[in-house]
Amino acid sequence: MSTLAGKSPRREQPNPQPARTTGDTVRPGEEAADQSSDEELLIAVGNKQDRAAFNLLFGRFAKRIFAMGIKLTRNEQLANDLVQEAMLTVWQKAPMYDLDRGTAQSWIFTLTRNRCFDMLRKIKRQPMTVNADDIWPTVEDQDSDLIHEEKGSFYAEVDNIESYYGQLPDAQRAVVEQIYIHDRTHEEAALELDIPLGTLKSRLRLGMGKLRQLVGTVE
Amino acid sequence: MNAEVNFHPTDDLLAKFVRDELSAGMIVVIAAHVEQCQVCTQKTRDFEQTASIEWMEDVAEEADTAEQSAFADMAAKITSLPQIKESRQDDSVQHEIHVLDHSVRLPKVLAKLAAEGLVWKKMAGGINQASVALDDKTQCEFIYMKPGSQVPVHRHEGSEVTLVLDGSFRDDLGDYRPADFVVRDRSHTHQPASDEGCLCFAVLDSPLTFTQGLARLMNPFLKYRFWRATSAG
Repeated sequence: MSTLAGKSPRREQPNPQPARTTGDTVRPGEEAADQSSDEELLIAVGNKQDRAAFNLLFGRFAKRIFAMGIKLTRNEQLANDLVQEAMLTVWQKAPMYDLDRGTAQSWIFTLTRNRCFDMLRKIKRQPMTVNADDIWPTVEDQDSDLIHEEKGSFYAEVDNIESYYGQLPDAQRAVVEQIYIHDRTHEEAALELDIPLGTLKSRLRLGMGKLRQLVGTVE
Repeated sequence: MNAEVNFHPTDDLLAKFVRDELSAGMIVVIAAHVEQCQVCTQKTRDFEQTASIEWMEDVAEEADTAEQSAFADMAAKITSLPQIKESRQDDSVQHEIHVLDHSVRLPKVLAKLAAEGLVWKKMAGGINQASVALDDKTQCEFIYMKPGSQVPVHRHEGSEVTLVLDGSFRDDLGDYRPADFVVRDRSHTHQPASDEGCLCFAVLDSPLTFTQGLARLMNPFLKYRFWRATSAG
């Protein structure tokens, strides 16, 4: 898995849409900037419904998605539909994006492929018994094993983890502490914090992602 | 996840799998293996990473400027919709399948298929088969081999992938246990047998040809059946 530390200077195309700052979630001084990495943008979209960040991602990926659609369907309308479906999925599922899973680019590729698979089967009128998300899950369901397995090495490598806690949003910090300090199971922690299990898991994932970024051990 | 899986899809197959470059039948059987195999889960993610890099670098087909304006509205419409905050677990799918005296937990994608209802047919040698329709290129079926059963010696015109779901079977090339992904092609003539019984999911891209004894009489029917299976719908 590649590191998230570096920015991605590889975009040669200027963003066709200027970043919007009308969204009420974007505060002055923390607008998504064009030089932000895909991961930073995607996390901003997931954490804060950051529309400016989404627009930037849209500018970076829409053309690629369109090209994939043209290649597979030879039809502009369908390719446009694919852009809409795929980018809608990016927007909707951004809160569940998991840094452990890979780069934002890889994640968006998988979402696009999945929408494409379903679209093509529909066009060919093949049985829709199974859909792409059954075949290639793009967000983890109950698979929290990986997070738990990392616990040992994470502690071993990080001496002073507490100092990073201050930088986590309260909600994420509470969850991370329940699991990693008090060693609660997900179910126990959800009860303790009085939040749904799914909410707990996504907060845990985001919190751990952020910590890992801060600590610089994004492996 | 099974810690001990001995037989995996090749890297070539996995690379095509993540790019959606295989028949639906093949994609489903690989997905069912990957779900149970940590090694292939990791490889799949690596291949997705590679595929995504190639995807971003492929500048052969660029959208023209007309498309760009269509895109402008799209982003605004999308962000007016709510996000999904947590993954929903699909509890509607029964993950277990009942064979004879016990139930077997299936990989999610196969559970979905089985949930449509399986019609089991008795074949020669203590074999039961239930076909499922996925695409027009492959024949896909659940196969249940009773304890002590043996498939007549056969050869494949194309290739056959068998994923073990429960129990075990063996042929002259090995012993196969749950999550093992077994590929046989025309160069193999084999005779699978199971002592303890075995539930598998198999994907064929062409009919079998039996090579010994009375079973050879089955060949025309198998071809007919394969033709029926792959031309329906």
